[in-house]
Amino acid sequence: MSSSAIEPEAPDLVCQLDNVQGMVDALSSVRWKRHQDAVIELSEHGIVLIVEETSCLQAKVYLQRELFIRYEYSAQGRPRFGVSLGLFVDCLNTFSVPGRSNTIEIQYPGPDMQLLLKSVDSLDACIYSEIRTRIPDMISWDYNFEPAGSTPLSFTVKSAALKEAIDDLEWPGSSIQIILQPVPPSVTFRGEGHGDLQIDFMYYVNTDLLIAFHCDQEVSYRYKYKFLRATTSNIPSSVIKDNRGSKLTIGRGGMLKVQHLVSVARPSVSHPHIDSAGYQQPSRIAYIEFFVKPEEDVDTVNDS
Amino acid sequence: MKFKAFLTDNGVNLLEKRFLPALDKMGRICHLYLTRDHAIFLHNLLNGDGIQSIAQFRKEALFDDYRISSQNDDRIAFSIDLSLLHRALRSIINIYTEFSGSHTGGGAGPTSSRLQIKLVKKLPPHSQQPMPFLTFETKGYRSAVIQDVPISKPLSRSDVLELQAALDMAQDLPRTLVQVPDMNQLQNFVDRMKHVGDLINVSISKYGDLHLQISTTLITLGAEFRKLLVIGEQAEVPVGDRDLSAQSRTQRAIQRGDAITVQVSVKHFAKSLQCHLAKPDCAFYGIAPEGACLTVIFQFFIPGLASMQTIVVLEVHFEFLICTF
Repeated sequence: MSSSAIEPEAPDLVCQLDNVQGMVDALSSVRWKRHQDAVIELSEHGIVLIVEETSCLQAKVYLQRELFIRYEYSAQGRPRFGVSLGLFVDCLNTFSVPGRSNTIEIQYPGPDMQLLLKSVDSLDACIYSEIRTRIPDMISWDYNFEPAGSTPLSFTVKSAALKEAIDDLEWPGSSIQIILQPVPPSVTFRGEGHGDLQIDFMYYVNTDLLIAFHCDQEVSYRYKYKFLRATTSNIPSSVIKDNRGSKLTIGRGGMLKVQHLVSVARPSVSHPHIDSAGYQQPSRIAYIEFFVKPEEDVDTVNDS
Repeated sequence: MKFKAFLTDNGVNLLEKRFLPALDKMGRICHLYLTRDHAIFLHNLLNGDGIQSIAQFRKEALFDDYRISSQNDDRIAFSIDLSLLHRALRSIINIYTEFSGSHTGGGAGPTSSRLQIKLVKKLPPHSQQPMPFLTFETKGYRSAVIQDVPISKPLSRSDVLELQAALDMAQDLPRTLVQVPDMNQLQNFVDRMKHVGDLINVSISKYGDLHLQISTTLITLGAEFRKLLVIGEQAEVPVGDRDLSAQSRTQRAIQRGDAITVQVSVKHFAKSLQCHLAKPDCAFYGIAPEGACLTVIFQFFIPGLASMQTIVVLEVHFEFLICTF
């Protein structure tokens, strides 16, 4: 009866994670609508989840192998499969019991190419799940992000402030202009629609809000509001609580890259004092990246 | 038809803090059925639609000086709005505690002012027709308060008989009951499961396994709780089955006749867990003989007594959709 005897070979991946909530947080941050298809790519370095929308917005969640307490990879090449993001997150969420560390094992593929999850921290209570996977769709366009020039055009802003700014821009809506200028060093978000709203982050005035700033030439691009909003709409509360920053970079052609850091560290509930040395190991961070294409009608003068 | 009793402090506490909030979650309207020995709150027993719930109190659990008489074998039943009942009770408690607060040390002996509950017929304002009410009456230090909770006309003799028959049927206990030790955990889990699907399979085995599973075309999500305390028929887990996956173990137990599976609505299942609000001392799950329904039994013990005498039994029944033997 033992199923391992029949199994022809080892699965592509068996890994264990001791902070399910961290993974739920990381994946939720790219969940901007109810039904989203995601592509998951496995490699020896970790798991990458990719979602995109109408060739204008792409998001990636990088779960590096260091996040896992066990990571056994035995595939050739990089297996990819499609899942429903919402279902995957809702399902993972049932494994997370608040106030308790939850260890789960993730395996791919199961006998019928499913993604298999099971809790492994208790012998007498077990949660398990099988999620049906799909053959992934082609990634519709190439999001090769290239720097705009010799120096990167980028700034780092407190995630909470970024979210607040983008939320505020909902009122003018439609299309949002992002302007970076070297003198005075500042970032401006401007919305024109039902009204005008401009939000300025001045580098030297608000060093606690705008943490870093690199810009040697003025650039300005417009982005659809709904895509900008998707980049911050589901930032997990842990990011705000940890007071983290988000990095925004404008690349060639105005492609906007937004990066967040989400902690997948094991919550140190038991000994907050003793544990302070191991507090937030840098390797226990999931990286979230969004790529937003600018609106077409932008003057491309900046790039020439 | 007469009913008159005094609510004890403990009874007030049980109703106000624990039972009425939990029962209200089952459904706002329920039947209150009073017999010589019991006061019973019943949900959906006559129409049989949705979750049936029965909360049976021994009269000593709530009342002293309990007097009931009717031509129908001293049985009275009517329907009542639980949220109104709860509101009336809460408001009257303020006066009541004001009074008992000033008489601390008075002991449990009968005092001149206690919380009386009785059935009355009154002429409501702007009406010619007298209406039935359940009335709470207490005299405080400086004030007296009467709260009238409107109730339905008492059920007819045949309806009471039908209610009693449904109640008798519900008393058939499942052959195997498993005790769920951590209701919080279960509630948490089911609340999250709700997002994944609408129907949940519940399997209970004689080995003490409770297995919940939601299965759709896209996903299967389940939880298995093992080695639970079994009441009634039990069996040893066959040696070969111990290391199997939850699904195959349940399947084999069903084939062997050691487990039953029923399918119920996740919403109903989650709702039944709301009874947890009443802070039961223990909770048991079982599947009635012939798979007639999934039964949850919550037990409440008399506080402070070493021998665990049950004072209240709260049973929840689900209509099932599919049943596998």
